[in-house]
Amino acid sequence: MKKYFAEFTKGIIKENPTFVLALGLCPTLAVSVSLSNGIGMGIAATFVLLGSNIIIAMLKDFIPDRIRIPCFIVVIATFVTITEMMMKAYSPALDRALGIYVPLIVVNCIVLGRAEAYAQKSSVLNSFFDGLGMGAGFTLALLLISGIREFLGAGKIFGHTVFKAFEPAFVLGMPSGALLVIGLLLGFFNLLKHRKT
Amino acid sequence: MKNNFTVSAAPHLHNKESTAKIMWAVVLSLVPSGIAGVWIFGRGALWVIILGVAAAVITEGVLQLLTKRKLTIFDGSAILTGLLLAYNLPPKVPFWLPIIGSFFAIAIGKQVFGGLGQNIFNPALVGRVFLVASWPKYMTTFTQALNYDALTSATPLAALREGKILENISYLDLFLGKRGGCIGEVCILALLLGAIFLLIRGYISWHIPVTYIATVGIFTYIFGAKALFSGDWLFHILSGGLILGAFFMATDYVTSPLTYKGQIIFAIGCGVLTAVIRLWGGYPEGVSYAILMMNAATPIIDRHTKHRIYGTK
Amino acid sequence: MNAAQLLTIFISAVFLYNVILSRFLGLCSFIAISKETRPALAMSLSVMFVTTMASIITWAIYKFLLIPFGLTYLRTISFILVIATFVQLVEMIIRKIAPALYRFFGIYLPLITVNCAVLGVAVLNSDMFFVKGKAVPGSFIYSVFQGICVGLGYTLAMLLMSGIRERLDLCDVPESVKEFPLAFIIASIMSLSFMGFNGFRF
Repeated sequence: MKKYFAEFTKGIIKENPTFVLALGLCPTLAVSVSLSNGIGMGIAATFVLLGSNIIIAMLKDFIPDRIRIPCFIVVIATFVTITEMMMKAYSPALDRALGIYVPLIVVNCIVLGRAEAYAQKSSVLNSFFDGLGMGAGFTLALLLISGIREFLGAGKIFGHTVFKAFEPAFVLGMPSGALLVIGLLLGFFNLLKHRKT
Repeated sequence: MKNNFTVSAAPHLHNKESTAKIMWAVVLSLVPSGIAGVWIFGRGALWVIILGVAAAVITEGVLQLLTKRKLTIFDGSAILTGLLLAYNLPPKVPFWLPIIGSFFAIAIGKQVFGGLGQNIFNPALVGRVFLVASWPKYMTTFTQALNYDALTSATPLAALREGKILENISYLDLFLGKRGGCIGEVCILALLLGAIFLLIRGYISWHIPVTYIATVGIFTYIFGAKALFSGDWLFHILSGGLILGAFFMATDYVTSPLTYKGQIIFAIGCGVLTAVIRLWGGYPEGVSYAILMMNAATPIIDRHTKHRIYGTK
Repeated sequence: MNAAQLLTIFISAVFLYNVILSRFLGLCSFIAISKETRPALAMSLSVMFVTTMASIITWAIYKFLLIPFGLTYLRTISFILVIATFVQLVEMIIRKIAPALYRFFGIYLPLITVNCAVLGVAVLNSDMFFVKGKAVPGSFIYSVFQGICVGLGYTLAMLLMSGIRERLDLCDVPESVKEFPLAFIIASIMSLSFMGFNGFRF
């Protein structure tokens, strides 16, 4: 049981897909404008990640090595299409907000990366926890970035204004602000890492 | 800088003393414009300048202390950045705006790259575009000249954008600064005084400013009105931040090309981009964006316009 | 089809909504490969080629296959499969015909499959130039042109960034921002400066 827990937690800090592995940055920056978008994307991506990790781990002995990437992509694309349809049906507002980044989960480096680096060589249960951990790490990273951007860039948390007198810096809601926030966060985490050693 | 005795292209080893001398000379050359700005816009403008400069110096000092790097706050470059940032602001802005702007300009525009000489982008302009994107309302509300309280959102360029020709503005008004605008950009006369000082002493060369201004003039003459070849080029040259930008920011050594050929390419690029944004872009003024974009292209320009190193193929 | 629309597509794709600096598509490859100019150029040209071809092929698939048979929900799967197949084909052809070129591109060619920019532009085209299941007049030209311009925008960002990073290699940058953090900050400033084209109207 401890082993599975370790699989899960490694995705959150030590091998956080966003801040350590630098994967899946495209959607991270694009959707982190608000906390609700961040959570939406995090959950969607985690669902896809779990699904694809499990299926690929189950099928790993049947997939020929030479065409493994297209096979992975088919599996992932299936789950993404399911996600797309569910989102369009149950939360169309979120679907509109996330836009083209929902279908783009197909090429999200995190999903394909974990399939390639992990699911194809591990047991189903391990892959499940790995997917869960990576998804959680991704979602937490999204929450951190979205929180900063929504609070400092729009003065709101989950759409509610926090302080009336606070003048937010709109640039943080723009692409430039996203790049700035992630650059500074990466620098900050590097600083912490250097202090430790 | 005079090119008579330069055998090869920079980077040369800098003498710390001479860097400071240049920086302080540029600061000195900007003083007339500041005085004019305060006279035209009132005491509030003086506060913007003071806060901008102070914030820049303090930011640089604190960051250098924290990162245990050599303190360079006395070489005049932080003061210059703060001054230029303040000159790029409207006169009636909240007190925290120049502070945040200067902080951003020094921290992100300069220190993150490792300090003076290593920044790619002009720090004052980095600060300015950051402020425009973050607090557009404050950055586009101007006071009318010599009327210290009247608030409007019109500068001559903005009015032109909306199709209203400002009735009572003559070229002389534009030249003397009797118009709405940013603190350090309106009084062309004062700016030119400083520019001539820098040119005579050899601190800047004519290549960039003249090419830049000429390009804007030609482009706006050709395309600036409904019919071709009938644009009001003089109006464009005297409006907005072109003179300030061309003489004092596009000429910054660190962020512009090393060779004359490169500088001319740089200046033409600045000119075209400025004119395009002014004529067809959403913002009425494009100088800051144009210069920053060309700053980004400077490393590539340098690579392709390098002098032949003496003795090599 | 009119010239103003084409100019707008050009300014949007290259400057205003630059595929990397504004839409963040292709960011992984951008950060990883923009350290030096030669690989950056190689990657950019390959990306531009693939985005253009992908625009053509996916347009045809959307118009003649997915819409008539009511299968638009299969857009994602079909697009990505087509792109992956195409890239694989190109790789095989180049390897056969021009081995030197193949070596020049190295591992970058297969990486393009998962470059968000390619799938991104295909999805963008079908979103922008098809309204309620019908193709907008001129949608083919617009789609192809957008494919080319997205490639150009990618190239512009890569070239500028590689020039800058090569120069910064010679500088004494603070330890914690070396490599990635600084690259993002530079991209942030570049993105800010491209915002100068906001509201462009010809």
